[in-house]
Amino acid sequence: MNSRQILEDLNTCFEEAMQRGLGQKGLIFPIDLDNVDDDELKHICVRLAAIFDMLNESYHYSEKLAKGDLKAKPSRTNIFAMPLKGLQASLTHLTWQANQVAEGDLSQQVHFLGRFSDSFNHMIKSLREKEVIEQRLKLISNVIGEGIFLVTSEGKIIFLNPEASRLLGYFPDEIENKFIHEIIHTQRLDGSFYQPGDNPIFNAITHGDKYNNTDGCFTCKSGLLMPVMIACRPVFKEDILDGAVIAFRDITEQKNYLKSLETINSLLEKQASTDTLTGIYNRMKFDEKLMIEIKRAHRYNSPLSFVMFDIDNFKKVNDTYGHLAGDNVLKRLAGLVAANIRDTDIFARWGGEEFVIQLPGLSLARAIIFAEKLRHKIEKYNFKEPEKITVSFGVTVFQARDNNITLTNRADAALYRAKENGRNQVRSSNE
Amino acid sequence: MEKVYNFKWDHLGDLSVGRPNLGKETSVMVYRLMQYTFKDVFSKEIGKQKTIELFVKAGALAGKEFCRNVLDISLPFDEFIAELKEKLVAFKIGILRIEEADKKKLQFVLTVSEDLDCSGLPIFGESVCNYDEGFIAGILKEYTGKKFTAKEIDCWATGDRTCRFEVKAIEG
Ligand SMILES: [Zn+2]
Repeated sequence: MNSRQILEDLNTCFEEAMQRGLGQKGLIFPIDLDNVDDDELKHICVRLAAIFDMLNESYHYSEKLAKGDLKAKPSRTNIFAMPLKGLQASLTHLTWQANQVAEGDLSQQVHFLGRFSDSFNHMIKSLREKEVIEQRLKLISNVIGEGIFLVTSEGKIIFLNPEASRLLGYFPDEIENKFIHEIIHTQRLDGSFYQPGDNPIFNAITHGDKYNNTDGCFTCKSGLLMPVMIACRPVFKEDILDGAVIAFRDITEQKNYLKSLETINSLLEKQASTDTLTGIYNRMKFDEKLMIEIKRAHRYNSPLSFVMFDIDNFKKVNDTYGHLAGDNVLKRLAGLVAANIRDTDIFARWGGEEFVIQLPGLSLARAIIFAEKLRHKIEKYNFKEPEKITVSFGVTVFQARDNNITLTNRADAALYRAKENGRNQVRSSNE
Repeated sequence: MEKVYNFKWDHLGDLSVGRPNLGKETSVMVYRLMQYTFKDVFSKEIGKQKTIELFVKAGALAGKEFCRNVLDISLPFDEFIAELKEKLVAFKIGILRIEEADKKKLQFVLTVSEDLDCSGLPIFGESVCNYDEGFIAGILKEYTGKKFTAKEIDCWATGDRTCRFEVKAIEG
């Protein structure tokens, strides 16, 4: 073969390759070296054959890389494969870096890979920022004075903060993957158990609703019930319900405080409304009640009688037996009267030895009968020191244009007449 | 004259005083000129094998001193490698990349691209970055306290585009 024939064979080979690509077999060197007699030409052909081999190898190598085979290895002397080897090294390193990032190593950076470096480093930056936010959230959940649960949309506990663990007495691994409505929120404060379907937290979690309860109840590991304030909020991931966050606070102390406050308040109220000597209502409370009864009488047009009475010659009791004996008489009288009125009647000490009674629903006539009975009982009663006392009564009834002052004034006037008339008797405003 | 010379970091001199106009950088050509002329002369004096051994040894000393004076060995491994990478770029030594890492067995496959010693060299058919081998092993020994070997398995001079090192802790 001469050089022209060789070139023509090569040309045919290239022409086909450029039309059909290299295919599986690659470029096939078209010259049979045995047919080349000239030594110099033979030498050139050997080198050309080596180039063909390198091209074929390089082609297969790039095919493998394109498929993601990073273990592919061309021969060292293949000059066509060299830039691809650089790319292969970069890809191998990137694979390792991606694994590092997946394992939480955010110190990875990519250099000298053009826009790819920018994208990768941007991703790392975002992940770092996310990590910072996560750490902050973790810190907040650690130091916050409220218990926090994270549950799935079925109510399965997947996280609790240290405060939740402390309050309820559970270690996280004792309670994680358990259902909150089966272990924590099972009972009401009165001890009764929720029935399927009426557990408010479970309903809120599974429906994705908000739920607040300032008077809830959680069950501790010890089995004891803890009064809690609960706030439950749904969590959504890409618009799909993904569970809920439940924050709660132990309100045992607040509850105790409220209870003692209630006791103190009712005590204070009692003191403010009670006559300290006799224990019955004082004048202030009586006035307050009178206003209410007057309104009621106005509204329903129902009768309201009013009795005022006073111990006869009480000054003499004090002078003869002393103030202590006088006080005892007042106490005994209050006790006697209190025992002979209805629950709805309102009885109070008006001042000194003077008392008043409101009789809702009683007409004047019946009020007079009531007063007369009372007068009789007092007259018969043994007061010890002295044994006998008597009482004068003034009775009146509410009229349409009355206020508390006109009403008491009329009763007072009737009482005055009873005194004038010789005491130990009942007088009414109707006389 | 002392019988031996002991290298100390401050022998690198105060470049801000010493080179107020030229600065602390020089050309890669000059660095390579020195390294390869050393190699030439040494190999003729003591043989090529011995020369390579000495280059590895000197590289290890350089790695140890570099680690002590430039790197923070209190960092956890991932961060230490990240810092090493940064410094190697900052000092224009090369671009370090990890391809495989077994942190338990302390076995790694590392590459150094644009390596100071060899990138752009003609194909010799054998790797030439013996100084680098020592340098990498020296840094890792200083950081971990364990002895390492680093063997260059691919090199620009063997037809690759990056130098690839197999690095292993030596048992015992
Ligand atoms: Zn090399």
